[in-house]
Parts: sequence; structure tokens; C-alpha cells
Amino acid sequence: MVKYNFQKEDFSNNLYKERPKISEVISIVAHQLRHPLSVIKNYLEVLMLEDLGKINPKQREYLSDCLENVERMALNVNELMSISLIEEGRYELSLKLLSLEDLTEEIVDELALWAKASNCELSFQKLEKRLPRVLTDPIKIRMVLENLISNSIRYKKAGQGKIEIKVEQSGQEVMFSCKDNGIGIPKKDFSKVFSKFYRSEEAVGIDPNGAGLGLYINKAIVELSGGKIGFSPNKGFGMTFYFTLPIVKEK
Amino acid sequence: MLNPKRKILMIEEDRFLRKIYRDKLTKVGFEFLEATNGEEGLNKIIDEKPDLVLLDLILPIKNGFDVLIDMKANKNTQNIPVVILSNLAQESDIKRGLSLGAKDYLVKTEISLSQVVDRVKEQLVKT
Repeated sequence: MVKYNFQKEDFSNNLYKERPKISEVISIVAHQLRHPLSVIKNYLEVLMLEDLGKINPKQREYLSDCLENVERMALNVNELMSISLIEEGRYELSLKLLSLEDLTEEIVDELALWAKASNCELSFQKLEKRLPRVLTDPIKIRMVLENLISNSIRYKKAGQGKIEIKVEQSGQEVMFSCKDNGIGIPKKDFSKVFSKFYRSEEAVGIDPNGAGLGLYINKAIVELSGGKIGFSPNKGFGMTFYFTLPIVKEK
Repeated sequence: MLNPKRKILMIEEDRFLRKIYRDKLTKVGFEFLEATNGEEGLNKIIDEKPDLVLLDLILPIKNGFDVLIDMKANKNTQNIPVVILSNLAQESDIKRGLSLGAKDYLVKTEISLSQVVDRVKEQLVKT
């Protein structure tokens, strides 16, 4: 029989004496949820690959819906993990030199189809002059870019959406900005925009499933890379979200 | 060409994951061995000399990092390629796993079963 090597006394001594920090609870819950999620994901994949026999189109559709929801849940769990690590000061970036304009172009291309289907005009014009590279975590900064651009697509007003993406140099920094003509954020909420779980009433109306963690995590990623993140309301409709990253002098 | 009967040892506590990997890896032609904790895993590495080890990190009795350290310290097992398959996704865990000699590090929630099989095959081609 398999025995775990934790001591019973360790457990009872600490129980109730110390209240665990909320970030610790989140971290434990997220870890516990990740495991069954990966199991379900694997099982669905095997069924969909027809390893166990043919499935009919309706069964495929249902399995595919299950998979989509499992993936959404995995994303939420990952966000919770990130939150607990940020709160504990243990969120780590793996810094590498990268071109923010190239990465932005890649992501704009990836999101173009969704933008078009959502009746959104998504534009990004690369400058002729190459911008200096920045030092940041490629995977995590990709999450920031995807989140900011997706927010603009998701939270558009009725009618045609218009999103303008720019990457430019501003002094010793490279600045990314994403300007939209969407629902915007009410002025009374400005101070809460980067708080965790913040969602404007209108945003909840459009997508009840969001967790309100994206901007909070974005802020941590940008700031841990030495940059700043902010927003300004546009004249008329919508918002411009931007962030800066310091330029690294390369030999 | 890959020898179709090459042995894969999976060290994984979760029986559901072991089951699906057993089905998948046997289906694509591997011999599948399994262990449910680090100590049993290390013993099977020594006794069975698998061609590749799929190693989880959070394991009862002996964790995956310690399994790696022990097998690297043994000249009979140090050259067996190890692919880590874990839910630990922090950069420090990945760096630690790779620096201890794992050939690849895969995060369970981020990778599909077929992708894992491809990565396993990739490692076996190299050896």
C-alpha cells in the first residue's frame, strides 16, 4: 500500500491555529482543479480522435462543446493560479528580448478572423523603421496583448466596431496602444479598472462569464517587466488601453 | 524507423491519466509500464531499463525531482531520457526539471495527448 509521508501531528497542530491566506487557498484549489481538468481534456480528445470507435456528427458536436468548456475552465484556473502567485510575490517572468511590433502583428493576424466575424475593423500598421527590442516574458506579454485586443473586440457597441492598434517608440520606451470605439468604462469606475474581479455593469451584460482578472494580471506582467499600463477614455466612444516597456540597449 | 516495442515507463499517481496513456501508447505500438509513486518508479527504472520515462513531479513517497536526481546519479540509468509531464508550470520548476537532466518538460493542461505522444517519439528518435 502506498503511504504519504506527511505526519498526522503536523496537520493537527496547525489546524485552526493559523488561518490560511486567501491566496494560499486559491493556489491549493487551483492546483486541485487543474488535475481533473487535464484528465477530462485527454479523455475527450481520445473520443474525438475516434480511437475507441466512430462517433456521429452530433456526438462530435457535443464532445467539442465539452472540450471548449473544459478549456475555458482551464483558462480560469490558470488565471486563479496567476492571481495567487502575484499576491504572494511569487509570480515569475522569464525575460527574453523580443520585438513587440512583430508579436503584435502575429496576434492581430490570429484575431483577425474573429474580429471580422464580430463586425470589427481591426487595423495595425507596422512602422517602416524597426523599433528597438524590449525585455519581457514572451508568453505572458502575448497574454496581455491578446487580452487587450480581445476586450476591444468583445466589448463593442452595436454596429461596426473599429480598433486601431499601434506600436511606437516614446522616449526610452516602446508603447503599445489599442484604441476602440466600444462600450468604454464609466468614469466612476476608473479607479477600479485594474482591481481583480472588476467588471463594468455593461461588460457583465455583454459577457456574463468573464472573471474580471485579465487587466489585473496584465498590470502585474507589464510592471514586472519594468513598464507601465494605463488607459484613457476617447472623445466620443470607447477607450484606449496602452502599456509601455523599457528599451534595452543592445550591443 | 522506430522500434515499435520500445518501453515507456509512466510514473504518475493518477489512475485515470495512467489508463488513458496506457491505452494510447499501447495503441501506437509501445510497451507500457507504470508506477504510482516515485520509489516504485525508480525501482522500475533500475529493473526494467525503459527506453523513456514519462515523469510526473508531485508524487507520493519520492517526488519527481528526487527520482531524476537519483536516476542521474546511477550510471546504469543516467542515460535513459526523461520527459516531465506535470501540472507545475512555474518557470522555476521548468528550469529545475531541465537542469536536472530532463529532455523535455510538458505541462499537462497545456498539451494534448497526441502532442505528448509526438514529443515522446521525438525523444526516442534522438536516442
